[in-house]
Amino acid sequence: MKRVTIDPITRLEGHGRIEIFLNEEGNVDNAYLQIPELRGFEQFSVGRPVEEMPRITNRICGVCPEAHHMAATKALDALFHVEPPSVAKKIREMFYASFYCTDHTVHFYALGAPDFVIGPDGPPAERNILGVIHKVGVEIGKEVIFCRKRNHEVIAMLGGRGIHPVAGLPGGWSKAINEEERQEIEKAARENVDFALFSLKLFADVVLANQSYVDLILSDAFTHNTYYMGTVDENNLINFYDGKIRVTDPEGNEFVKYDSKDYAEHIAEHVEPWSYLKFPYLKGVGWKGFVDGMDSGVYCATPLSRLNASDGMATPKAQEEFEKFYETLGSEKVNGRYKPVHHRLATHWARLVELLYASERMLELATDPEITDPNVRSPVTETPDEGIGSVEAPRGTLTHHYKTDENGILTDVNLIVGTTNNYAPINMSVKKAAENLITGGNVTEGLLNMVEMAFRNYDPCMSCATHSLPGQMPLEIVIRDSNGEELERLSQFID
Amino acid sequence: MKTIIIGLGNPILTDDGVGVLCALEIEKLLSFEIQADIDVTEASVGGIRLMETMVGYDRAIIIDAIMSKNGHKPGTIQILTLDDLRNISPTQHSTTTHDTSLVTAFDMGTRLGLHLPSQIQIYAIEVENVYDFSEKPNPEVAKAIPIVTSMVMQDIQ
Repeated sequence: MKRVTIDPITRLEGHGRIEIFLNEEGNVDNAYLQIPELRGFEQFSVGRPVEEMPRITNRICGVCPEAHHMAATKALDALFHVEPPSVAKKIREMFYASFYCTDHTVHFYALGAPDFVIGPDGPPAERNILGVIHKVGVEIGKEVIFCRKRNHEVIAMLGGRGIHPVAGLPGGWSKAINEEERQEIEKAARENVDFALFSLKLFADVVLANQSYVDLILSDAFTHNTYYMGTVDENNLINFYDGKIRVTDPEGNEFVKYDSKDYAEHIAEHVEPWSYLKFPYLKGVGWKGFVDGMDSGVYCATPLSRLNASDGMATPKAQEEFEKFYETLGSEKVNGRYKPVHHRLATHWARLVELLYASERMLELATDPEITDPNVRSPVTETPDEGIGSVEAPRGTLTHHYKTDENGILTDVNLIVGTTNNYAPINMSVKKAAENLITGGNVTEGLLNMVEMAFRNYDPCMSCATHSLPGQMPLEIVIRDSNGEELERLSQFID
Repeated sequence: MKTIIIGLGNPILTDDGVGVLCALEIEKLLSFEIQADIDVTEASVGGIRLMETMVGYDRAIIIDAIMSKNGHKPGTIQILTLDDLRNISPTQHSTTTHDTSLVTAFDMGTRLGLHLPSQIQIYAIEVENVYDFSEKPNPEVAKAIPIVTSMVMQDIQ
């Protein structure tokens, strides 16, 4: 029996184990990504005053506390039946756009870029952000840090706290902004636009100019024809903060568009015996297993999905990039809409298109004449009962659903976090990558990184589902034969 | 010497928040005296964001939970350096799914010429339950809180 040990690499830290089962011929039968369960969030929350939820839920995850804070705050608006003043919505959206700028930046430079800049077959020890800086230049690293710093300052200014924000309230926002603050935000937004354009140029120079990378993106190994989900405004353009949830089919037609409060009518959850996490799917199509196609209710909610589910971007430069994205990847326009791009590795590019949109949108809001209006909160007068709030988290549509008694004490809580939407597609991508690299019981070298690439583009937020890491590097792949006996264990653990 | 004390962890995940609880205790004790050059903070972050919180400081003291692969008793306290994280094992929050490990982030910051602490001391408290939502750590783990708190207070006196 062959045992392969992969040297520790540090780029994919999370808490996952992949089990690959082979059939009697030694080919891949099934592959599962398993994520341990966090227990008792509902019991923890029930009995608490619901106003605490924006501050509690932003503790669930250290990666996107801003997304939980915002979904929770919107759920409170609905639960207390209060409409925030227009300026409060704009401040929330501006805060959220700034968060997107930090989050998408770090994902691209730390997780996406290494595979292309160092190369998918490059030495694992160099395939990280340090390797990118080494190869492309220290200046780029500095720009990444500057981008994060200026946006963290905006987030702290608007959110009332640096890392775990506190400013969201039912009916508004706790803090108005003055002219001096507005100018700082405008300056940061202008720099964000420049940085996003720079990042897109880097992507064009490093990835699109290299035919072998374009071929990799377009290859069948990283392609799945599924449904796509994203939040759109009244013109069907992408919006991260608010709008309707739109789902398009694998051919690119609108399948359904609904208010997030109606999510339970459209989304159901499939249960598998091997996983604590559930697999959301489209009720209107039905669960047909981990398969592609029009008849399978599997959908995906990622930057790529948001582009596919929308008709375009609401800002001019991002719209130009949107068109370039579809035209470069060979998508035709039918009835005024581009056909969907199903190539999962294109998600990295889609993420940069969204970075540009977030930057432009932040600038629009920072220069909106209303943004310094001091009336940032509507009074709460109604009796609370039930509320649902959703936003587009960087990793997919995030929905919070609360019920309370008449005193606002929680009686029921349900969250659908971004990554959960993608749990089925992630498993499908892992299986497909494994199928391409294991035949007749032979495991090709490089399996670990190809499998990682297959699911890294989803930026799975295992922290949301599990939060913590063991004291070891977390990705482990176990390959089992048709009797369930362990054949091989690939890991990046440090013993 | 400008010092930052960082308590890491999720305060609503049973033992996971033990580092945060230590930081809160330290903050309370420090509030009785004027310490212009010491900041205390708590967060549930890792990797690049953790490195960024240390920019501008000469010394960092990090308190975090750890689950050693071979399992020390819950509440066991280990004092680690950045090299230990590099060579032996990361703590609960020094790594993150979404960018990179603290070690790589720190190397990156150094390469970019950021002012990062020349001294980093990491208190790692062995934990057991990081899967159940609760604000209270288990009693064996909680016993480490006053001990680590006084160790850190001694370090900075």
